[in-house]
Amino acid sequence: MSDTSLPEPFTDLEPLAAVWALATETERNQQRLSSTMAQIQAFYDTLLPRMEAVLTYLSTFPPEPPDALPQKARRLLYLALAMAEITTAVELHQQPSVPAGFEPRRFIPDHERMER
Amino acid sequence: MQDSTDTHVNGKRWTLDHPELGTGSLPITPYLSTEYFERERGKIFSRTWICTGKKVEEIPQPGDYLVLDIAVGKTSVLLVRGKDGRVRGFHNVCKHRGNRLAWNDRGACGTGLTCRFHGWTYASDGRLIGVPEEDMFFDFDKRDYGLSPIATDVWEGFIFINLDPDPPETLHQYLGEVVDLLRGYAFDRLPLSWSYTAEQKCNWRILRDSQLEFYHGKALHQQFAGKVMINKQQPSCHVLDAKLFRRHSMMSFYGDRRNTQRTPMELLMAQFGASFKTFPSARDMDRWPLGVNPTRSRQWFFDIYYIFPNFHLVILSPFLFVAHTMLPETVNRSTWNARGYFPQPTTAAETVTREYNKCLARDVWLEDGSTLENTQRGIESGVLSHYPVQDQELLIRHAHKVAEELLASDGQAE
Ligand code: FES
Ligand SMILES: [Fe+2]
Repeated sequence: MSDTSLPEPFTDLEPLAAVWALATETERNQQRLSSTMAQIQAFYDTLLPRMEAVLTYLSTFPPEPPDALPQKARRLLYLALAMAEITTAVELHQQPSVPAGFEPRRFIPDHERMER
Repeated sequence: MQDSTDTHVNGKRWTLDHPELGTGSLPITPYLSTEYFERERGKIFSRTWICTGKKVEEIPQPGDYLVLDIAVGKTSVLLVRGKDGRVRGFHNVCKHRGNRLAWNDRGACGTGLTCRFHGWTYASDGRLIGVPEEDMFFDFDKRDYGLSPIATDVWEGFIFINLDPDPPETLHQYLGEVVDLLRGYAFDRLPLSWSYTAEQKCNWRILRDSQLEFYHGKALHQQFAGKVMINKQQPSCHVLDAKLFRRHSMMSFYGDRRNTQRTPMELLMAQFGASFKTFPSARDMDRWPLGVNPTRSRQWFFDIYYIFPNFHLVILSPFLFVAHTMLPETVNRSTWNARGYFPQPTTAAETVTREYNKCLARDVWLEDGSTLENTQRGIESGVLSHYPVQDQELLIRHAHKVAEELLASDGQAE
């Protein structure tokens, strides 16, 4: 199987992963900010009922580095991290970005550089 | 330990405990004046301990170093761990003709750091150990040209520097009561988990003040904190405790985390890992450091510790704290580094819960960030000459007085 697939119980989430399973916070945040609220809401609504199973599955893997995970599990992790990314859009802001917030592009995530 | 209403907020106005601070408004001049800023540079930032925001574990091995450009001190600082394990600070300036010594913002100098200009080499303890064609100098002794040291010390793993070549007090003397209040907190066990940096076109005090009060919680962070802060008995009061020290200060805030929105993701995150909107187990609260939730309220939201002039610790639980390091560049430019320290994930599922907490913190900081440059523009308009200070903004009032005292003190202002 290629690395474009998810672990067996989650293969139906493939359309979501194709868009959202991104490796870095910056990419996931960019995806959030360039999506419509309807797209974000659809992602949330589809993944939420599966999220407990996803986290239970991920509980059997070590945390990091992501390279230590098998490719399919890693892709599922990236999908779950994107869920964490968009949660505030749905549960707090009801819009993709922080209302009237500081520009995310100027709020530099140094941790991404430190992790490398 | 608990009273009947299980809250210690009692309608008190804390400012009135400190008559020396008064209740008047504060002047805008310190936020705008270049002349005032130059005095701050000379009498505050060049003479007190300032926190770098970096931790010793960021330079774990002998020879590991960090470089920080401290614009307010007009210098570049090299922090390096010596072979003896000690962390030292130096001006990142070659003592031959002044070139910048280390060019990367972090690195490792196993056999020494070599200047690119003419190749002088320094050991990790600052000694000059290599000079090409040394015999062609005159009356020359390498011992006279070691790196210029900067007073450097460590508290709970945080690296502080003092640009005064001869600081009148040690870091621990300077920190005073804060050392005992926070002794025993898990500073050594919580890894750096996220770090954001933003350049802000605003005076450093605007940045500093933005994290020095939580009067703004119910408005600016309405979605995140509004419900948690609701206090039916005393709707205007949110302060559990406030302590003003010689330089530093702290405030402990009321919050009922049971009022937090029990959103689906919040519940899931609490099930699989740590979530800072979930109240930590109160069972072992008696064993927390004295200064964390000092009133031992079960309706405790968080504590702010302000280490004058540029460092804020926000303690949200025994397993989560935030550190803000703020430094001026010029009178109207500042750098803000906001960091979260959170338990090391043990599974990939906990990596997700950490991400959730990180994104929540980031979005709250983006709300804070939205006010900074707008406030700068607002006060540059000249509309304000002074501003009123609410009881929950007491630490700002105190910090202003501390600065005024330092600015009035003897000694040359550079
Ligand atoms: S300036 Fe560094 S070796 Fe000359
Ligand atoms: Fe805030």
